[in-house]
Amino acid sequence: MISRNSFWASCLENHKRRIWVWIVAFMMQLLIYVGVLTVYLSRIRFWYEDGAYRTNEEFRKAMAQAAQDALGFQPVLFIGVMVLAVIIGKQGFSYLNDRRKVDMYHSVPVSKTRRFFAIYLNGIVIYLTATLFGLLVGTVVAAAQGAITGSVLAVIGLAFVWNLVFFLVVYHTMILAVMLTGNSFVALCVFGILAAYEPMLYECIVSFRYSFFERYSNYFIPFTPKCSAFADYFNHTESIKYMSTSQEMAGTAVPYIGKWFVLSVILFIAVYVCYHKRMSEAAGKAIAFAKLKPVIKILVVVEASMIVGSIVRDAAYENDVLMLVGMLLAGIICCAVLEVIYEFDLKCVLRHWVSSGVAVLAILAVFCIFKFDLLGYDRYVPEADQVESVVFEPNVEYADYWDDTFEYIPGNEYLMEHMYVTAVEDVVALAQKDQQEEQENMGDPRRVEVVYRLKSGRNVERGFWVDFDNPANEELLNHIIGSQEFKAGMYQIVDDAKSCDKVQTITYSNGCVESILPLEDAGKLREAYLKDLEQMDFSMVRNNYPCGTLCFGFRNNMWLRCPIYDSYTNVLQYLKEQGAYYPTQLNAEDIASITVTNYHNEIYEDDYADVEEAYDAYREMAVGAEEVYSDVSAAYEDVSVVESFYDQEQIEEILQCIYPSAFQYDWHSYEEFDYNYDVCIEFKKDSDYPYNKTVYYFYYNMLADQVPEFVVEATALK
Amino acid sequence: MIEMHNLTKSFDQKTKAVDSVSVTIKENTVFGLIGTNGAGKSTVLRMVSGVLKPDEGVVTVDNMPVYNNVEAKKRLFFIADEPYFFANTNARTMEHYYSGIYENFDREEFYKYLENFNLDKNRKINTFSKGMKKQLALLLGICAHTEYILCDETFDGLDPVMRQGIKSIFAKEMEERGLTPVIASHNLRELEDICDHVGLLHKGGVLLSKDLEDMKCNIQKVQCVFASVEDELKALNGLEVLKKEQRGSLRTITVRSTREEVTARFATVNTIFYEVLPLSLEEIFISETEVVGYDIKKLILG
Repeated sequence: MISRNSFWASCLENHKRRIWVWIVAFMMQLLIYVGVLTVYLSRIRFWYEDGAYRTNEEFRKAMAQAAQDALGFQPVLFIGVMVLAVIIGKQGFSYLNDRRKVDMYHSVPVSKTRRFFAIYLNGIVIYLTATLFGLLVGTVVAAAQGAITGSVLAVIGLAFVWNLVFFLVVYHTMILAVMLTGNSFVALCVFGILAAYEPMLYECIVSFRYSFFERYSNYFIPFTPKCSAFADYFNHTESIKYMSTSQEMAGTAVPYIGKWFVLSVILFIAVYVCYHKRMSEAAGKAIAFAKLKPVIKILVVVEASMIVGSIVRDAAYENDVLMLVGMLLAGIICCAVLEVIYEFDLKCVLRHWVSSGVAVLAILAVFCIFKFDLLGYDRYVPEADQVESVVFEPNVEYADYWDDTFEYIPGNEYLMEHMYVTAVEDVVALAQKDQQEEQENMGDPRRVEVVYRLKSGRNVERGFWVDFDNPANEELLNHIIGSQEFKAGMYQIVDDAKSCDKVQTITYSNGCVESILPLEDAGKLREAYLKDLEQMDFSMVRNNYPCGTLCFGFRNNMWLRCPIYDSYTNVLQYLKEQGAYYPTQLNAEDIASITVTNYHNEIYEDDYADVEEAYDAYREMAVGAEEVYSDVSAAYEDVSVVESFYDQEQIEEILQCIYPSAFQYDWHSYEEFDYNYDVCIEFKKDSDYPYNKTVYYFYYNMLADQVPEFVVEATALK
Repeated sequence: MIEMHNLTKSFDQKTKAVDSVSVTIKENTVFGLIGTNGAGKSTVLRMVSGVLKPDEGVVTVDNMPVYNNVEAKKRLFFIADEPYFFANTNARTMEHYYSGIYENFDREEFYKYLENFNLDKNRKINTFSKGMKKQLALLLGICAHTEYILCDETFDGLDPVMRQGIKSIFAKEMEERGLTPVIASHNLRELEDICDHVGLLHKGGVLLSKDLEDMKCNIQKVQCVFASVEDELKALNGLEVLKKEQRGSLRTITVRSTREEVTARFATVNTIFYEVLPLSLEEIFISETEVVGYDIKKLILG
């Protein structure tokens, strides 16, 4: 028996006022969990009946996966949990916005604390009960169809905690919005601001940095909101959903759950303090705490102006003056709108000009900070003695990276973890040269992304241009790229000896032949390759082309491709011993035909120059420029000329000036190849040459300035 | 006893809704708080009920500060000018709510009163008329059995029969358990026959606060025809004349004095006719406030 005067009696009494919220919560959770589960399972059943699964085991796995997807990390819950938290938080404390209700509730002999906790805890009880009910019904439905396993239950449990803590953050944010305001509409607006402010601010800063800072880079260190559970949930739920094991999911989810919990506690403290500080007379006002008005105004106005500034700059073709005008106009309008909302009176549009003035000054300051790089962001080059080590990504080779379970790891993460280049002085020297030299004056400018690991513990990322053609850079680049630390980060084969034990295929290719090598030699081959790799530096890769590629294949379609150069004697010796080595140079007698396509880019270059000119002219007018550009561009026809060559002598001559497209040669200048031409080789059917029979055509590129005259003539514009 | 010491409350930086109000409300009296719209009556009652926190000063109920004090609030029941009832609810549900909060709530008495006032306990309150809602609020307040019941414009809009009914209940409750009703109104006539003590608010301040009996005893209205001018001067000599009207030879004189003193004084002079008349609350107010320079008719009589 609950005493009529107890805390629990207050809770029960409060529940009576929230029946519609109970109904909404139950309906939503049933729809989200049971409804989605039913759709997913019936889809699997349909596919099963359609013969999509070969065995019952496969079918059962698919059913379990469907149950896990529906009851676990469902991205749609982002909306579901948010809506529920907003409704529950708003409804529970909305009495604070109504003077009649405040008069009643605040005059009765119930302590503020008891009332707060009765409403607050009831909100959590509503969410918990509805969610557990939805999950329970869903689990029973799924179990009845054999779709529940221990692992699925673990994921459901983890996702439940994930959503619960996220709910707490949103719930506390909504209650805080109610505490800060005295009107339902304004409360929802403030909730939107609290939820979106940080992610939007980060977006704005990124946009401004891209706009104004040439050396901005966020390849290695993502510039993402630090405190926003909204951004975290939105960005990570989907990726967790696709993880293969519940342990892996927990490994990713638990740190976020911890972070959100801390955040929710901080928000709760803010809510509780505001609740006790909030005066009853705030009901009906826009903002409950008058002192917050200018602060909110300035923060909102500055961010709004940054959003508008970014949009205007994009729309106005990077016109900074228009951008500033847009920002100031947006700021002024935003100030006026906020004043009208604050007072619910159109006549107050010009009130509080001091805070409006401060907001405008803040907008100007933000613009100047980025436009004139007042904080020296773009000019930043650390002193070499401040830097512990460096990550140096020259953006020339693409590679797969994987973890112990052969799950894909993004290249930036792998490099951050494995590359500790200590040739700091060389990297800093390159960065300083970039500060002094215009990119337009560089012979072969390459964008490199760098992370300076400072001795202070801070990591600073920048991107800058390095002239690969400048002989003065060669030695610096040799020090960096020739270092063991660079290779350890760039090539997984250096640090990862374990993978060789689990290799599934080893092949060597010269572009046409694919030789299969024995798996038991994986370790030996790796050793040979590592020995050869010691000689690799910038000069070597810049001045030589690979003669083939050694390729290790692993689970999950992970490939380790190692370019082999003529100087890699250890690997080449092994290949020769195995009879697996074939030179890049092909014999004319093995080839049936070579088909050359001349794209005649020179036509486009000239004409596009005209189009660009016209485009520039239209840009001045701005209106409709995009349409005009695309209309003109679309008017150009395909003028490529394709010619096949069967004559042995001609084939012989062409073979002297081509190189396999499959090999990576981004170390080399773009101008070393003539990309006007595509070369396609077809081998004779009866040839003894052991080319890869699963491929009909082999593609090559023409070396620049070596295109035979007869090819030029034969593929000239008709 | 409710004591307000130097209460001040502002709702924005420019306007003071209540300015240095100090009033004492004794137990077992009916206290009338009178003032025009915007005079600060509701603000005072909201501060007394603990809804609003005074910017300055303090309100104590039986020597306990009322703001954020559950014990003090247990002694009060506040009926706002627009009482709030839960959405889609009926009188029974409201009784459940209040009986859970006020320990001494008399449920039996509540249902008896509901019947007497012809209010259906199962009818949705949102279908009640404005007057019925006020009756319901008053009955809930009376049955909460608190020491003080604060009524903000609660009697406005009640028909005379209902008003009389409520007054009777107040009288009964005052007699039986010492209830102290505090009634705010902008209309002096509403309170005339019920208040023991009246506080007059104007522009956030207290113009006066006095016992009605004291006021009635100390102000007399005399209608008389003097035999001569000398008699008139002799009669009024030494009396504080608040107001004097003349219609032909008939004089209507309001003086500050006891009835006995006035009767004795007039008996000593030669008059053709004289009669000491009872003063209405309105007349007492007019006289009292005119003295301090206010035109009360404009303030509270309309």
